[in-house]
Amino acid sequence: MTEVHHIQVPLGYLPLLVLIPAAVAAVAVPWLRSRFRKQVVPGSVPDWSIPPLDDGRGGLGTSLIHRWDVRCKIMTMLAYSFAVASLRHLSAAAAAVLISLAVLLAAKVSFHKVVLRVLALAGFLGMLLIVMPLTVPANPGDTLLVFGSLDWLTVNVRGIVLAATIGAKAMAVALLMEPLLATAPLPVTLHGLSRLGIPEMAGQMVLLSYRYLHVFSHEARRMTVGMKARGFEKKTSLDTLRALGNFLGMIFVRSFERTERVFDAMQARGYKGRFPEPGQLQIRMPDILLTGVWIAVGTALVWFDWMKG
Amino acid sequence: MHISDGVLPLAVTIGGYAASAGLATWSARRIHSRDLPKVAVVTSAFFVASLVHIPFGPTSTHLLLPGLAGALLGPAAFVAIGLGLLLQSVLFQFGGITALGANAVMMGVPAVVCGWFFQQFKGRTQARQAIAGGLAGALGTALAAVFLAALLVAGGEDFFGVAKLALAAHVPVIVIEGVISGFTIGFLARVKPVLLQSSFQDAAGPMHD
Repeated sequence: MTEVHHIQVPLGYLPLLVLIPAAVAAVAVPWLRSRFRKQVVPGSVPDWSIPPLDDGRGGLGTSLIHRWDVRCKIMTMLAYSFAVASLRHLSAAAAAVLISLAVLLAAKVSFHKVVLRVLALAGFLGMLLIVMPLTVPANPGDTLLVFGSLDWLTVNVRGIVLAATIGAKAMAVALLMEPLLATAPLPVTLHGLSRLGIPEMAGQMVLLSYRYLHVFSHEARRMTVGMKARGFEKKTSLDTLRALGNFLGMIFVRSFERTERVFDAMQARGYKGRFPEPGQLQIRMPDILLTGVWIAVGTALVWFDWMKG
Repeated sequence: MHISDGVLPLAVTIGGYAASAGLATWSARRIHSRDLPKVAVVTSAFFVASLVHIPFGPTSTHLLLPGLAGALLGPAAFVAIGLGLLLQSVLFQFGGITALGANAVMMGVPAVVCGWFFQQFKGRTQARQAIAGGLAGALGTALAAVFLAALLVAGGEDFFGVAKLALAAHVPVIVIEGVISGFTIGFLARVKPVLLQSSFQDAAGPMHD
């Protein structure tokens, strides 16, 4: 395997192999996205809805992942994610996707939110899947597909495999995000992080900005409705850009004014640089067991990947 | 554009985390700890602003805003952007959790550079502030695109094509971002000029002693 293999494919296969799948994806992804996003405001007003992070069970879910100690869960899943992201072979990455799917079933998280996460990946991964086969340099041993007489259109099979591997790895990690984040209330997750050595202030900032995200998105929605009521329509024009520039400026003015009031209100309630802890954490035997099993699975995956060269 | 999981080599993801942890510490030290909750609240405003879609021909693009964040927040912008990217990743899956450090460097360093640029060249008149703001906005996105391309190229020769395309795709965004930033800064210069003083840094200055 020292030279580049060329495979002639009749021109008629081009739509079958490339154009039709691309067109299907281009139609299906926006359609699924609009179906799975709960459209709060109908019509062309932008959807400002921000998904909730936890599953609303208040940390009382009964699945294996729900009951896992939050510190063990964070450490294990993050370390495992890095291990998955370092895989180099498609078969190992595909195995990681299967493992993530199994975890998903075990954690009983919202299918709806998982689909949204996967759809969010579609843009970046679709771009890789289109660009990489065409631009990856032809190394010795590669197989190139040439479509009929179109010399400039050579598809490198190694590029397809590479893009698919990246896609599988991204998918495997993304599928774990719901089990990681939704199975405990956000304050508990952040408390776990601070017990793992992340500065407490970082967790507080996440909590505050997560809270005010919803406040400002409501505000932005109200402002958009007002703009539409005054006849504003988005176009590719300088006027649109000016209107949107003012819109952003207004969001910032309001937010900076709000920070002062928020901070005053926090101080009035006795804020002294920390929030109350959301409860005691305790590591028990099953927690350690699950962590051990998971790390063993991750190690096996990396070893399998490594054995393949 | 945010990098997803599985694209970058392991060394780059871990290096990205180390670099952004260092930069975040530096950034947080430049702010009075009293002001950190306020930075968090402002971050959510930037987050919401980045959800605005700008029509561009038949398609639309969303704003990245590193330039504006730098101009308004100064050194605090790095913390704000790191926080914003974390939220984007955990809420929307825009940008992978393992690539978060690299993504934070990619957007945060341009923001801090733009903040410095804006404070140096903003001058006194409203028109000049708007122009400096527009340049900062364009510069921020351009730098972010260069960082993105550099990070992708770190993956090896196979990623050259993707990196080139990423650079090319940012060109219209750079223009739009520059124009919008100019208008936004112009608006703030007329309506609330205090905000253009790189808020948290100055407020914190005299309180450190």
